[in-house]
Amino acid sequence: MGEEDDRRRFETLVLPHLDAAYNLARWLTRNDHDAQDVVQESMVRAMRYIAGLRGEQARGWLLQIVRHSCYSWLTQNRPAEQLYLDDTLDPAFEIAAPSADEPHAVAVRQADRRALNEAISALPVAYREVLVLRELEDLSYGEIAHIADIPVGTVMSRLSRARGLMRTALAPSTRPALRAVPKSTQGAGKS
Amino acid sequence: MKSQVEAEEITAFVDGELDLARQLALEERARLDEPFKAQVDALRQLRQAIRQQATYHSAPAALRQRIASPPRQPRRDEPGAGWLAQAARRWFAWRPMIASLGMIAVVVAPLNWMLLRSMQDDRMLDDVVASHVRSTLGRHLIDVESSSHHTVKPWLSAQLDFSPPVAELPIPGSTLVGGRVDYLDGRPVAAVIYRQGSHTVNSFAWPGASRDSPVQWATSRGYQTAHWAHGGMNHWVISDLNPQELSTVVRAIQNADATP
Repeated sequence: MGEEDDRRRFETLVLPHLDAAYNLARWLTRNDHDAQDVVQESMVRAMRYIAGLRGEQARGWLLQIVRHSCYSWLTQNRPAEQLYLDDTLDPAFEIAAPSADEPHAVAVRQADRRALNEAISALPVAYREVLVLRELEDLSYGEIAHIADIPVGTVMSRLSRARGLMRTALAPSTRPALRAVPKSTQGAGKS
Repeated sequence: MKSQVEAEEITAFVDGELDLARQLALEERARLDEPFKAQVDALRQLRQAIRQQATYHSAPAALRQRIASPPRQPRRDEPGAGWLAQAARRWFAWRPMIASLGMIAVVVAPLNWMLLRSMQDDRMLDDVVASHVRSTLGRHLIDVESSSHHTVKPWLSAQLDFSPPVAELPIPGSTLVGGRVDYLDGRPVAAVIYRQGSHTVNSFAWPGASRDSPVQWATSRGYQTAHWAHGGMNHWVISDLNPQELSTVVRAIQNADATP
Protein backbone atom coordinates (compact mmCIF):
# COMPACT_ATOMS: atom_id res chain seq x y z
CA MET A 1 0.00 0.00 0.00
CA GLY A 2 2.71 2.43 1.05
CA GLU A 3 4.77 1.29 -1.89
CA GLU A 4 1.94 2.17 -4.26
CA ASP A 5 1.60 5.59 -2.67
CA ASP A 6 5.31 6.18 -2.92
CA ARG A 7 5.28 5.18 -6.55
CA ARG A 8 2.41 7.53 -7.29
CA ARG A 9 4.13 10.38 -5.49
CA PHE A 10 7.29 9.63 -7.39
CA GLU A 11 5.45 9.75 -10.70
CA THR A 12 3.58 12.95 -10.00
CA LEU A 13 6.22 14.91 -8.09
CA VAL A 14 9.62 13.67 -9.18
CA LEU A 15 9.34 12.35 -12.73
CA PRO A 16 8.29 15.74 -14.20
CA HIS A 17 11.76 17.00 -13.26
CA LEU A 18 13.64 14.24 -15.01
CA ASP A 19 14.89 16.65 -17.67
CA ALA A 20 16.20 19.06 -15.06
CA ALA A 21 17.92 16.15 -13.32
CA TYR A 22 19.50 14.96 -16.52
CA ASN A 23 20.53 18.45 -17.60
CA LEU A 24 22.37 19.05 -14.35
CA ALA A 25 23.98 15.60 -14.38
CA ARG A 26 24.97 16.01 -18.02
CA TRP A 27 26.59 19.37 -17.39
CA LEU A 28 28.42 18.17 -14.30
CA THR A 29 29.69 14.89 -15.74
CA ARG A 30 30.03 16.29 -19.29
CA ASN A 31 29.22 12.87 -20.65
CA ASP A 32 25.93 11.31 -21.82
CA HIS A 33 26.57 7.82 -20.58
CA ASP A 34 27.77 8.86 -17.15
CA ALA A 35 24.92 11.33 -16.80
CA GLN A 36 22.44 8.53 -17.41
CA ASP A 37 24.08 6.36 -14.78
CA VAL A 38 24.11 9.19 -12.29
CA VAL A 39 20.48 10.09 -12.94
CA GLN A 40 19.44 6.48 -12.66
CA GLU A 41 21.19 6.19 -9.33
CA SER A 42 19.66 9.50 -8.23
CA MET A 43 16.21 8.24 -9.08
CA VAL A 44 16.73 5.17 -6.93
CA ARG A 45 17.70 7.44 -4.08
CA ALA A 46 14.77 9.73 -4.78
CA MET A 47 12.42 6.76 -4.67
CA ARG A 48 14.03 5.60 -1.46
CA TYR A 49 13.68 8.95 0.26
CA ILE A 50 10.40 10.02 -1.34
CA ALA A 51 8.64 9.86 2.01
CA GLY A 52 10.80 12.79 3.10
CA LEU A 53 9.72 14.99 0.19
CA ARG A 54 7.39 17.73 1.39
CA GLY A 55 5.30 20.11 -0.60
CA GLU A 56 6.15 21.75 -3.89
CA GLN A 57 9.92 21.82 -3.67
CA ALA A 58 10.30 18.64 -5.68
CA ARG A 59 12.67 20.03 -8.30
CA GLY A 60 15.13 21.48 -5.82
CA TRP A 61 14.88 18.35 -3.73
CA LEU A 62 15.63 16.15 -6.73
CA LEU A 63 18.44 18.39 -7.99
CA GLN A 64 20.02 18.21 -4.56
CA ILE A 65 20.06 14.43 -4.83
CA VAL A 66 21.37 14.57 -8.40
CA ARG A 67 24.11 16.99 -7.43
CA HIS A 68 25.13 14.75 -4.57
CA SER A 69 25.23 11.72 -6.85
CA CYS A 70 27.27 13.69 -9.39
CA TYR A 71 29.85 14.70 -6.83
CA SER A 72 30.11 11.12 -5.59
CA TRP A 73 30.59 10.00 -9.16
CA LEU A 74 33.15 12.73 -9.89
CA THR A 75 35.09 11.94 -6.73
CA GLN A 76 35.31 8.32 -7.80
CA ASN A 77 35.86 8.75 -11.52
CA ARG A 78 37.42 12.17 -11.97
CA PRO A 79 39.67 12.58 -8.96
CA ALA A 80 41.73 15.16 -10.85
CA GLU A 81 38.76 17.49 -11.19
CA GLN A 82 38.77 20.36 -8.76
CA LEU A 83 35.48 19.76 -6.97
CA TYR A 84 35.70 22.08 -4.04
CA LEU A 85 36.86 25.64 -4.38
CA ASP A 86 38.36 27.88 -1.81
CA ASP A 87 36.34 30.89 -2.82
CA THR A 88 38.76 33.33 -1.29
CA LEU A 89 41.94 32.04 -2.90
CA ASP A 90 41.07 31.08 -6.43
CA PRO A 91 43.26 33.17 -8.76
CA ALA A 92 40.59 32.96 -11.44
CA PHE A 93 38.65 35.54 -9.47
CA GLU A 94 40.97 38.29 -10.48
CA ILE A 95 40.47 38.00 -14.20
CA ALA A 96 36.76 37.58 -13.77
CA ALA A 97 35.78 41.14 -13.02
CA PRO A 98 34.05 42.68 -16.00
CA SER A 99 35.22 46.05 -17.14
CA ALA A 100 33.29 48.41 -19.29
CA ASP A 101 35.78 49.16 -21.99
CA GLU A 102 36.18 45.63 -23.32
CA PRO A 103 34.38 44.67 -26.50
CA HIS A 104 32.86 41.65 -24.80
CA ALA A 105 29.31 42.57 -25.51
CA VAL A 106 29.78 42.20 -29.20
CA ALA A 107 31.72 39.01 -28.81
CA VAL A 108 29.08 37.42 -26.66
CA ARG A 109 26.32 38.35 -29.02
CA GLN A 110 28.17 36.62 -31.79
CA ALA A 111 29.09 33.59 -29.76
CA ASP A 112 27.63 30.53 -31.29
CA ARG A 113 26.09 27.60 -29.50
CA ARG A 114 29.17 25.47 -29.65
CA ALA A 115 31.47 28.12 -28.23
CA LEU A 116 29.02 28.76 -25.44
CA ASN A 117 28.73 25.08 -24.58
CA GLU A 118 32.48 24.69 -24.63
CA ALA A 119 32.96 27.70 -22.41
CA ILE A 120 30.49 26.37 -19.88
CA SER A 121 32.10 22.92 -19.97
CA ALA A 122 35.48 24.46 -19.34
CA LEU A 123 34.36 26.12 -16.08
CA PRO A 124 35.41 24.56 -12.78
CA VAL A 125 32.57 22.32 -11.72
CA ALA A 126 31.63 24.50 -8.72
CA TYR A 127 31.11 27.47 -11.04
CA ARG A 128 29.48 25.36 -13.70
CA GLU A 129 26.79 24.00 -11.43
CA VAL A 130 25.85 27.44 -10.16
CA LEU A 131 25.69 28.84 -13.69
CA VAL A 132 23.65 25.92 -15.03
CA LEU A 133 21.20 26.10 -12.14
CA ARG A 134 20.85 29.85 -12.58
CA GLU A 135 20.65 30.19 -16.35
CA LEU A 136 19.27 26.87 -17.53
CA GLU A 137 17.00 26.05 -14.59
CA ASP A 138 16.25 29.70 -13.76
CA LEU A 139 16.55 29.05 -10.03
CA SER A 140 16.87 31.84 -7.49
CA TYR A 141 20.03 32.35 -5.46
CA GLY A 142 18.22 30.93 -2.46
CA GLU A 143 17.24 27.77 -4.28
CA ILE A 144 20.73 27.31 -5.66
CA ALA A 145 22.21 27.84 -2.21
CA HIS A 146 19.94 25.10 -0.91
CA ILE A 147 20.79 22.66 -3.67
CA ALA A 148 24.53 23.25 -3.62
CA ASP A 149 24.60 23.52 0.16
CA ILE A 150 26.46 26.84 0.16
CA PRO A 151 25.56 30.31 1.50
CA VAL A 152 23.67 32.69 -0.77
CA GLY A 153 26.68 34.99 -0.78
CA THR A 154 28.79 32.19 -2.20
CA VAL A 155 26.21 31.59 -4.91
CA MET A 156 26.49 35.23 -5.86
CA SER A 157 30.28 35.29 -5.91
CA ARG A 158 30.58 32.03 -7.83
CA LEU A 159 28.03 33.17 -10.34
CA SER A 160 29.87 36.43 -10.77
CA ARG A 161 33.14 34.61 -11.34
CA ALA A 162 31.54 32.08 -13.62
CA ARG A 163 30.24 34.88 -15.80
CA GLY A 164 33.59 36.59 -15.71
CA LEU A 165 35.27 33.40 -16.91
CA MET A 166 32.64 32.99 -19.59
CA ARG A 167 33.24 36.52 -20.85
CA THR A 168 36.95 35.93 -20.91
CA ALA A 169 36.52 32.62 -22.70
CA LEU A 170 34.20 34.11 -25.29
CA ALA A 171 36.27 37.21 -25.85
CA PRO A 172 37.97 37.22 -29.28
CA SER A 173 41.40 37.40 -27.73
CA THR A 174 41.06 34.05 -25.99
CA ARG A 175 38.97 32.27 -28.59
CA PRO A 176 41.85 30.23 -30.02
CA ALA A 177 41.80 28.13 -26.90
CA LEU A 178 38.26 27.10 -27.58
CA ARG A 179 37.66 26.93 -31.29
CA ALA A 180 39.48 26.59 -34.55
CA VAL A 181 40.53 29.89 -36.07
CA PRO A 182 42.24 30.66 -39.34
CA LYS A 183 46.01 30.29 -39.10
CA SER A 184 46.67 33.88 -40.02
CA THR A 185 44.88 35.23 -36.93
CA GLN A 186 46.16 32.63 -34.48
CA GLY A 187 49.41 34.40 -33.69
CA ALA A 188 47.69 37.68 -32.99
CA GLY A 189 44.99 35.97 -30.91
CA LYS A 190 47.50 34.46 -28.49
CA SER A 191 48.58 37.78 -27.04
CA MET B 1 34.87 54.73 -11.77
CA LYS B 2 35.08 55.98 -8.20
CA SER B 3 32.42 54.20 -6.20
CA GLN B 4 33.13 51.02 -8.07
CA VAL B 5 30.21 48.66 -7.84
CA GLU B 6 31.45 45.22 -6.94
CA ALA B 7 31.28 42.69 -9.71
CA GLU B 8 29.22 40.46 -7.46
CA GLU B 9 26.73 43.17 -6.87
CA ILE B 10 26.32 43.75 -10.59
CA THR B 11 25.71 40.04 -10.99
CA ALA B 12 23.05 40.11 -8.31
CA PHE B 13 21.58 43.23 -9.85
CA VAL B 14 21.35 41.61 -13.28
CA ASP B 15 19.66 38.63 -11.67
CA GLY B 16 17.25 40.84 -9.74
CA GLU B 17 18.49 39.37 -6.48
CA LEU B 18 19.26 42.59 -4.63
CA ASP B 19 16.91 44.00 -2.07
CA LEU B 20 14.42 46.41 -3.58
CA ALA B 21 16.07 49.65 -2.42
CA ARG B 22 19.47 48.65 -3.77
CA GLN B 23 17.96 47.30 -6.96
CA LEU B 24 16.23 50.62 -7.61
CA ALA B 25 19.37 52.57 -6.77
CA LEU B 26 21.42 50.62 -9.28
CA GLU B 27 18.75 50.99 -11.95
CA GLU B 28 18.95 54.70 -11.43
CA ARG B 29 22.71 54.54 -11.68
CA ALA B 30 22.59 52.48 -14.86
CA ARG B 31 20.67 55.33 -16.46
CA LEU B 32 23.27 57.90 -15.56
CA ASP B 33 26.58 56.05 -15.39
CA GLU B 34 27.66 54.98 -18.87
CA PRO B 35 30.51 52.63 -17.91
CA PHE B 36 28.27 50.96 -15.32
CA LYS B 37 25.52 50.61 -17.91
CA ALA B 38 28.00 48.99 -20.31
CA GLN B 39 28.94 46.45 -17.66
CA VAL B 40 25.32 45.66 -16.95
CA ASP B 41 24.50 45.34 -20.63
CA ALA B 42 27.45 43.01 -21.18
CA LEU B 43 26.26 40.74 -18.40
CA ARG B 44 22.69 40.83 -19.65
CA GLN B 45 23.83 39.84 -23.11
CA LEU B 46 25.92 37.00 -21.77
CA ARG B 47 22.99 35.88 -19.73
CA GLN B 48 20.67 36.00 -22.69
CA ALA B 49 23.14 34.19 -24.90
CA ILE B 50 23.52 31.35 -22.41
CA ARG B 51 19.80 31.05 -21.88
CA GLN B 52 19.03 31.04 -25.56
CA GLN B 53 21.90 29.07 -26.96
CA ALA B 54 23.48 26.84 -24.35
CA THR B 55 22.29 23.28 -24.74
CA TYR B 56 19.61 22.16 -22.37
CA HIS B 57 20.16 18.42 -22.11
CA SER B 58 16.81 16.72 -21.99
CA ALA B 59 16.67 13.19 -20.65
CA PRO B 60 17.15 10.62 -23.43
CA ALA B 61 14.05 8.57 -24.20
CA ALA B 62 15.79 5.35 -23.20
CA LEU B 63 16.59 6.72 -19.75
CA ARG B 64 13.08 8.05 -19.34
CA GLN B 65 11.63 4.70 -20.29
CA ARG B 66 13.88 2.84 -17.91
CA ILE B 67 12.91 5.08 -15.03
CA ALA B 68 9.24 5.42 -15.84
CA SER B 69 8.61 1.78 -16.69
CA PRO B 70 5.70 0.55 -14.63
CA PRO B 71 6.69 -1.38 -11.53
CA ARG B 72 3.79 -3.82 -11.73
CA GLN B 73 5.32 -6.51 -13.91
CA PRO B 74 9.08 -6.51 -13.60
CA ARG B 75 10.33 -8.55 -16.55
CA ARG B 76 13.46 -10.39 -15.63
CA ASP B 77 14.26 -11.40 -19.19
CA GLU B 78 14.61 -7.74 -20.14
CA PRO B 79 17.51 -6.24 -18.27
CA GLY B 80 16.76 -2.66 -17.34
CA ALA B 81 13.01 -3.00 -17.70
CA GLY B 82 11.31 -2.36 -14.42
CA TRP B 83 14.71 -1.56 -13.12
CA LEU B 84 13.56 1.20 -10.86
CA ALA B 85 10.66 -0.83 -9.68
CA GLN B 86 12.99 -3.66 -8.82
CA ALA B 87 15.40 -1.39 -7.06
CA ALA B 88 12.59 0.29 -5.22
CA ARG B 89 11.07 -3.01 -4.31
CA ARG B 90 14.42 -4.12 -2.99
CA TRP B 91 14.44 -1.14 -0.71
CA PHE B 92 10.85 -0.79 0.13
CA ALA B 93 9.79 -4.35 0.43
CA TRP B 94 12.67 -6.54 1.41
CA ARG B 95 13.97 -4.77 4.41
CA PRO B 96 10.65 -4.26 6.16
CA MET B 97 9.57 -7.69 5.08
CA ILE B 98 12.62 -9.35 6.55
CA ALA B 99 12.36 -7.20 9.63
CA SER B 100 8.69 -7.98 10.10
CA LEU B 101 9.24 -11.66 9.41
CA GLY B 102 11.93 -11.58 12.04
CA MET B 103 9.58 -9.86 14.45
CA ILE B 104 6.83 -12.33 13.69
CA ALA B 105 9.23 -15.21 14.17
CA VAL B 106 10.35 -13.82 17.51
CA VAL B 107 6.80 -13.29 18.68
CA VAL B 108 5.31 -16.42 17.23
CA ALA B 109 8.07 -18.94 17.87
CA PRO B 110 7.42 -19.43 21.62
CA LEU B 111 3.69 -19.33 20.98
CA ASN B 112 4.08 -21.83 18.21
CA TRP B 113 6.26 -23.99 20.37
CA MET B 114 3.73 -23.92 23.19
CA LEU B 115 0.95 -24.70 20.75
CA LEU B 116 2.96 -27.53 19.30
CA ARG B 117 3.68 -28.82 22.77
CA SER B 118 0.05 -28.75 23.74
CA MET B 119 -0.88 -30.42 20.47
CA GLN B 120 1.69 -33.08 21.20
CA ASP B 121 0.28 -33.50 24.67
CA ASP B 122 -3.22 -33.76 23.25
CA ARG B 123 -2.12 -36.42 20.83
CA MET B 124 -0.32 -38.26 23.60
CA LEU B 125 -3.42 -38.07 25.74
CA ASP B 126 -5.46 -39.63 22.96
CA ASP B 127 -2.87 -42.34 22.45
CA VAL B 128 -2.66 -43.08 26.14
CA VAL B 129 -6.43 -43.31 26.47
CA ALA B 130 -6.65 -45.51 23.41
CA SER B 131 -3.94 -47.77 24.75
CA HIS B 132 -5.60 -47.98 28.13
CA VAL B 133 -8.99 -48.76 26.60
CA ARG B 134 -7.49 -51.39 24.36
CA SER B 135 -5.73 -53.02 27.28
CA THR B 136 -8.87 -53.18 29.40
CA LEU B 137 -11.20 -54.27 26.59
CA GLY B 138 -9.15 -56.96 25.04
CA ARG B 139 -7.14 -59.63 26.62
CA HIS B 140 -3.84 -57.96 26.08
CA LEU B 141 -3.65 -56.24 29.42
CA ILE B 142 -0.67 -58.11 30.78
CA ASP B 143 2.38 -59.65 29.15
CA VAL B 144 3.97 -60.72 32.36
CA GLU B 145 1.73 -61.41 35.30
CA SER B 146 3.34 -60.92 38.66
CA SER B 147 2.80 -59.00 41.83
CA SER B 148 6.52 -58.68 42.36
CA HIS B 149 8.54 -55.94 40.78
CA HIS B 150 11.47 -58.37 40.92
CA THR B 151 9.72 -60.27 38.19
CA VAL B 152 8.09 -57.48 36.24
CA LYS B 153 11.08 -55.14 36.04
CA PRO B 154 13.59 -57.66 34.62
CA TRP B 155 11.04 -58.87 32.14
CA LEU B 156 10.35 -55.34 30.87
CA SER B 157 14.07 -54.54 30.79
CA ALA B 158 14.61 -57.61 28.68
CA GLN B 159 11.92 -56.61 26.20
CA LEU B 160 12.91 -52.96 25.97
CA ASP B 161 16.06 -50.96 25.46
CA PHE B 162 15.65 -49.33 28.85
CA SER B 163 14.83 -50.31 32.42
CA PRO B 164 11.57 -48.75 33.58
CA PRO B 165 10.84 -48.03 37.22
CA VAL B 166 8.61 -50.72 38.66
CA ALA B 167 7.43 -50.85 42.26
CA GLU B 168 4.66 -52.17 44.46
CA LEU B 169 2.74 -49.21 45.75
CA PRO B 170 2.48 -48.94 49.55
CA ILE B 171 -1.07 -47.73 49.51
CA PRO B 172 -4.17 -49.65 50.67
CA GLY B 173 -6.02 -51.62 48.03
CA SER B 174 -3.20 -51.39 45.48
CA THR B 175 -1.85 -54.45 43.77
CA LEU B 176 0.86 -54.75 41.16
CA VAL B 177 -0.53 -57.13 38.60
CA GLY B 178 2.08 -57.17 35.90
CA GLY B 179 3.76 -55.53 32.96
CA ARG B 180 3.24 -55.12 29.25
CA VAL B 181 5.08 -53.69 26.31
CA ASP B 182 2.99 -51.11 24.55
CA TYR B 183 3.49 -48.64 21.74
CA LEU B 184 3.27 -44.90 22.36
CA ASP B 185 4.83 -41.77 21.01
CA GLY B 186 6.27 -43.73 18.11
CA ARG B 187 8.23 -46.19 20.23
CA PRO B 188 7.85 -49.24 22.49
CA VAL B 189 7.13 -48.23 26.06
CA ALA B 190 6.84 -50.00 29.36
CA ALA B 191 3.37 -50.36 30.85
CA VAL B 192 3.05 -51.33 34.48
CA ILE B 193 -0.43 -52.41 35.54
CA TYR B 194 -1.89 -51.91 38.96
CA ARG B 195 -5.24 -52.68 40.36
CA GLN B 196 -6.76 -50.26 42.74
CA GLY B 197 -9.82 -51.97 44.09
CA SER B 198 -11.67 -52.97 40.96
CA HIS B 199 -10.01 -50.25 38.83
CA THR B 200 -7.17 -50.78 36.47
CA VAL B 201 -4.27 -48.36 36.40
CA ASN B 202 -1.88 -48.25 33.45
CA SER B 203 1.42 -46.62 34.21
CA PHE B 204 3.48 -45.95 31.08
CA ALA B 205 7.13 -45.00 31.09
CA TRP B 206 9.71 -44.45 28.39
CA PRO B 207 12.97 -42.54 28.20
CA GLY B 208 13.59 -39.39 26.21
CA ALA B 209 12.48 -36.54 28.49
CA SER B 210 15.03 -33.76 28.15
CA ARG B 211 14.18 -32.27 31.54
CA ASP B 212 11.96 -32.88 34.53
CA SER B 213 8.47 -31.44 34.44
CA PRO B 214 5.83 -31.37 37.16
CA VAL B 215 2.69 -33.48 37.05
CA GLN B 216 0.02 -32.29 34.69
CA TRP B 217 -3.49 -33.59 35.03
CA ALA B 218 -5.98 -34.15 32.29
CA THR B 219 -9.33 -35.78 31.77
CA SER B 220 -10.38 -37.46 28.58
CA ARG B 221 -13.52 -39.48 27.91
CA GLY B 222 -14.00 -40.05 31.63
CA TYR B 223 -10.45 -41.24 32.27
CA GLN B 224 -8.09 -39.42 34.55
CA THR B 225 -4.56 -39.03 33.37
CA ALA B 226 -1.41 -37.66 34.85
CA HIS B 227 1.88 -37.12 33.09
CA TRP B 228 5.23 -35.87 34.17
CA ALA B 229 8.89 -36.32 33.45
CA HIS B 230 11.52 -37.34 35.91
CA GLY B 231 15.08 -38.59 35.58
CA GLY B 232 14.89 -38.65 31.79
CA MET B 233 11.71 -40.73 31.84
CA ASN B 234 8.34 -39.73 30.50
CA HIS B 235 5.52 -40.96 32.70
CA TRP B 236 1.86 -41.25 31.83
CA VAL B 237 -0.60 -42.75 34.29
CA ILE B 238 -4.20 -43.38 33.33
CA SER B 239 -7.13 -44.91 35.14
CA ASP B 240 -10.86 -44.68 35.64
CA LEU B 241 -10.18 -43.80 39.27
CA ASN B 242 -11.47 -40.50 40.51
CA PRO B 243 -8.89 -37.70 40.46
CA GLN B 244 -8.23 -37.88 44.21
CA GLU B 245 -7.50 -41.59 44.16
CA LEU B 246 -5.37 -41.24 41.06
CA SER B 247 -3.32 -38.50 42.69
CA THR B 248 -2.63 -40.88 45.59
CA VAL B 249 -1.46 -43.51 43.10
CA VAL B 250 0.66 -41.01 41.20
CA ARG B 251 2.30 -39.79 44.39
CA ALA B 252 3.05 -43.39 45.37
CA ILE B 253 4.61 -44.08 41.95
CA GLN B 254 6.70 -40.94 42.20
CA ASN B 255 7.88 -41.82 45.69
CA ALA B 256 8.80 -45.34 44.62
CA ASP B 257 10.70 -43.87 41.67
CA ALA B 258 12.54 -41.44 43.89
CA THR B 259 13.56 -44.11 46.41
CA PRO B 260 14.10 -47.31 44.50
